[in-house]
Amino acid sequence: MSLEKIEVDALVVGSGIAGLQSALDLADQGYSVAIVERNPSIGGKMISLSKVFPTLDCASCITTPRMASVSHHPRITTLTYSTVDAIRREGKTFTAAITRKPRYIDEKECISCKRCEEVCPVFLPDEYEQGMGAKKTISIPFTNAIPQFPVMHPEHCIRCGACARACPKDCIDFLQEPAPVEIKAKAVILATGYETTPMTAKKQYGLGALPNVISPMAAERLLAPHGPYGRVLRPSDGMTPGSIAYVQCAGSRDKSIGIPYCSRVCCMYAIKQAILLSGSLPIADITIYYMDIRAFGKGYEQFYNNARAMGINFVKAKVARITEDENHNPVVRIEKQEGTSGPEEIKHELVILSQGLVPACDGSKFGLGAANNEFGFVKLSDETVSSAVTDGAGVFVAGTAKGPRDIPDSVVDAGSAAIEAASYIRRL
Amino acid sequence: MNEKITEAASKDNYRQEPKVGVYVCHCGGNISDIIDVKAVAEALSKYPGVTVAREYAFMCSSNGQDLIAEDIKNLGVNRTVVAACSPSLHELTFRNVLQRAGVNPYLHEHVNIREQASWVHKLDKAGATAKAIKLAQAGVEKVLRKDALNAIRVAAEQRVAVIGGGVSGMRAALSAAGKGLEAVIIEKGPRLGGKLLELGKMYPSGETGPAIVKKLSDLVLAEGKITVHTSAEIDFVSGFVGNFKINFKKTDGSSAQVKAGAIVMATGYEHYKPAKGEFGYGEDANVVTLPEFISLLKNSPADRLEYSGREIKSLALIHCVGSRQVEGVHKPQADGRLNDYCSRTCCTSALHTVNQLKDKYPGVRVYDIYRDIRTYGMKHEEYYDKASKDGVLFMRHNEADQPVVTSDRTGHTVKVKDVLTWGEELEFKADLVVLVTGMTPADITLIKSQLKLPSGADRFLQEVHPKLRPVELANSGIFVAGAAQYPMDSTEAMASAGTAAAKAAILLAEPDIPLEPFVAVVDEHKCTGCGLCPAECSYDGALMMGEHNGKKVAVVNPALCKGCGACVAVCPTRAINVAGWTLDQFDAMVDAIAKE
Repeated sequence: MSLEKIEVDALVVGSGIAGLQSALDLADQGYSVAIVERNPSIGGKMISLSKVFPTLDCASCITTPRMASVSHHPRITTLTYSTVDAIRREGKTFTAAITRKPRYIDEKECISCKRCEEVCPVFLPDEYEQGMGAKKTISIPFTNAIPQFPVMHPEHCIRCGACARACPKDCIDFLQEPAPVEIKAKAVILATGYETTPMTAKKQYGLGALPNVISPMAAERLLAPHGPYGRVLRPSDGMTPGSIAYVQCAGSRDKSIGIPYCSRVCCMYAIKQAILLSGSLPIADITIYYMDIRAFGKGYEQFYNNARAMGINFVKAKVARITEDENHNPVVRIEKQEGTSGPEEIKHELVILSQGLVPACDGSKFGLGAANNEFGFVKLSDETVSSAVTDGAGVFVAGTAKGPRDIPDSVVDAGSAAIEAASYIRRL
Repeated sequence: MNEKITEAASKDNYRQEPKVGVYVCHCGGNISDIIDVKAVAEALSKYPGVTVAREYAFMCSSNGQDLIAEDIKNLGVNRTVVAACSPSLHELTFRNVLQRAGVNPYLHEHVNIREQASWVHKLDKAGATAKAIKLAQAGVEKVLRKDALNAIRVAAEQRVAVIGGGVSGMRAALSAAGKGLEAVIIEKGPRLGGKLLELGKMYPSGETGPAIVKKLSDLVLAEGKITVHTSAEIDFVSGFVGNFKINFKKTDGSSAQVKAGAIVMATGYEHYKPAKGEFGYGEDANVVTLPEFISLLKNSPADRLEYSGREIKSLALIHCVGSRQVEGVHKPQADGRLNDYCSRTCCTSALHTVNQLKDKYPGVRVYDIYRDIRTYGMKHEEYYDKASKDGVLFMRHNEADQPVVTSDRTGHTVKVKDVLTWGEELEFKADLVVLVTGMTPADITLIKSQLKLPSGADRFLQEVHPKLRPVELANSGIFVAGAAQYPMDSTEAMASAGTAAAKAAILLAEPDIPLEPFVAVVDEHKCTGCGLCPAECSYDGALMMGEHNGKKVAVVNPALCKGCGACVAVCPTRAINVAGWTLDQFDAMVDAIAKE
């Protein structure tokens, strides 16, 4: 297989909101950029969110235009469904070894007509919907995905050939192989983002085995306009929950799971989801169990006050344990830190664990000198002087790759990484 | 996102027979939950002049944009109406679609059926739908009367003026210079550094404020592309994007002027100054603010914490002084507003200071009275942890139950209704009370009024959108860096300032800057030369009387005109119109809306 070669000014690893914005801020200054994204679509975590605090804009309304700008930008090349296997530094140039994973379709021919998806007889749990909906074994990842190419999952494919027969362009390729790509760049921006702490992180919270104790990402999909059910239902029995609770710091500020830091976003996303829930389920009781409410950004305190005025119940209490009753109603054992003393057990119908943020990628694995901090996030060389310069010359960082932060902070970070990379390139 | 509209000529399609495409967006439920979008599209598809009307979940997404582009290509659509969110959010997005598809981008009309229909008429779905149809029909009437316009291009000074020489200003100048632009820092104080010059050890690095300032100012002074003016008092700022003029006075009384294509507002913050009597401040010498305490701590002898010659053995910190204020509990500020925002940095700063205090004077008893501890940064939680381990006694009160400080000869008594002990009324003595004060924006009244800069209810400079355009002010070419926008710590200011410089670099990436063509246009045939309009114009030189073919007429300077329309309102002969917003268009819109 011939090696595809791309030469650009800067390589951006990751296409979440920080990666997209860094790429745009570089390209708009006149630099050429390649973005490499491991998922089949650009857009990162943000594209799957419902609405975003504190403005309650729909997340798609903020993300999709940026995705479109990136995909239409004459100076940006985007490689999706591709992994960065290694980056070597040779003098003043970085050479990145990339693998394009096979989608099992001919991307040059595909017209995104979805016929293959329509005829495919095999359904899979849809990870984009956090496993709550189903998708076909060959399918376009989600409505707003860019690019609009279907991906086939050969491990589930029954080789019935229906897709190949349905395809008007004859572009299904069952034998497609991974394809190597080489990218040469003068600077690298790591925008590799975060993952949420696993549902299994804390034994006391049910290890992910309680069906009606769900992740905040699942709650985002339940609240999203095109979510799996089009409404808020709880997983165990499809019932509309009448009592919903948020367990704050379920994966942050908790030395017992090795995450002593505050994840910065969980208070605000819980408040936002609570506000959205009270919109879609007006009679539901919503409780947020918290240690401290950290509404520290611009407009956040006012957002928190609005939530309180709407009747969302904020209870200062540490949740010690979550069990369930015979109807799968989560039972939350708490000790209140205000009001009355003594432990209490309170039954809810749906519980959301406000998980924290952990790094999605080990930025130091590329061996470019960019070191991690003790929690595995990319460390800044001197944060009092720059917010993007790492210990590796020519390697910059943006967004949650350097630690938990919200969307406005990530967008601001991205511009800073872009100007640092531009300055570095100019001085080479 | 900075997709520039280039005037690269689109085809002369406005001369062709108008074919309007109408696109109704669901806005992911924001609109379609209330408005029957199918009914809107259906009604519009039958409206005169409309070739096609469609509805889609997210018109702004790539798929939605492609729908429009396809219709332009396949159906010959040459004017578009998108009924969606606010034009401030996505009008530019759709203009770019037209541009890419070869249609003049100004043959687009953005109709807001979210803020103006679905959001405000939640309880009246039928009414909201009917209103959306009317608004969209008015949009069609308007777009049918639009002319193809071209962006006005003005030459730009390849220089960035940075107002404020604190850490944000220095970072912004360094980043702009790093990109190859000239940068000029204008600082009113005698030296670079701003507020950090007064501060002691800073979190998270543990370096002192002056040490951090030195690192940055050494870089600034070594950078040939940066000019620094200190002790510079700005007295007049004027101009527009690409051509700003900043006049300032130096200490010797002489005046100087900086010309710049872009301005970065790095004007910083002031520590909140408690009102006289707020927790005894200003009346009782033993009530101090956190910044005052930081210098007290720095200047105390090694063996004892000393204030006014007296040893301090116990102190009480009260958080959220001047922040998170609540109606009915706190007194409004001088301007009648409450500081209802969180000042973001004070919890961490207070606990970081307490850590240093306990390291230096372990015997001092510390009470910490708070509402929520907001130590959100990566290592900040450790300060909270250490304070707890060091024996700091934390008490938490509800906003309605403010702590009370009283003083008599025996010292200060602090009373707190502590929710951590289930509402117990606690009372204790403290030698010193430290008010953990927040941030307020620095006084930039003059610059704000001269440049007409927007600020929010919190008085900080207001960005266009926190996620789409987080460091851009509504005034084209003016950016905000650091705590002028909102309280933030110095590391966060680095990101903000870097991004402000990035946006300035993008703006100045080309030698000339495209401006919106929405400026006043005079029809010389209709103008009678009456001279009423120049008197109404608020922009120097934008509109003057001149001559055209030997006739006295009003003449517009498009680079200076802001398109405010004041001249249009006084013209007795309808000779002046703002391009893209003409009186004929408005008449037609009103007729469409009023039609039974």
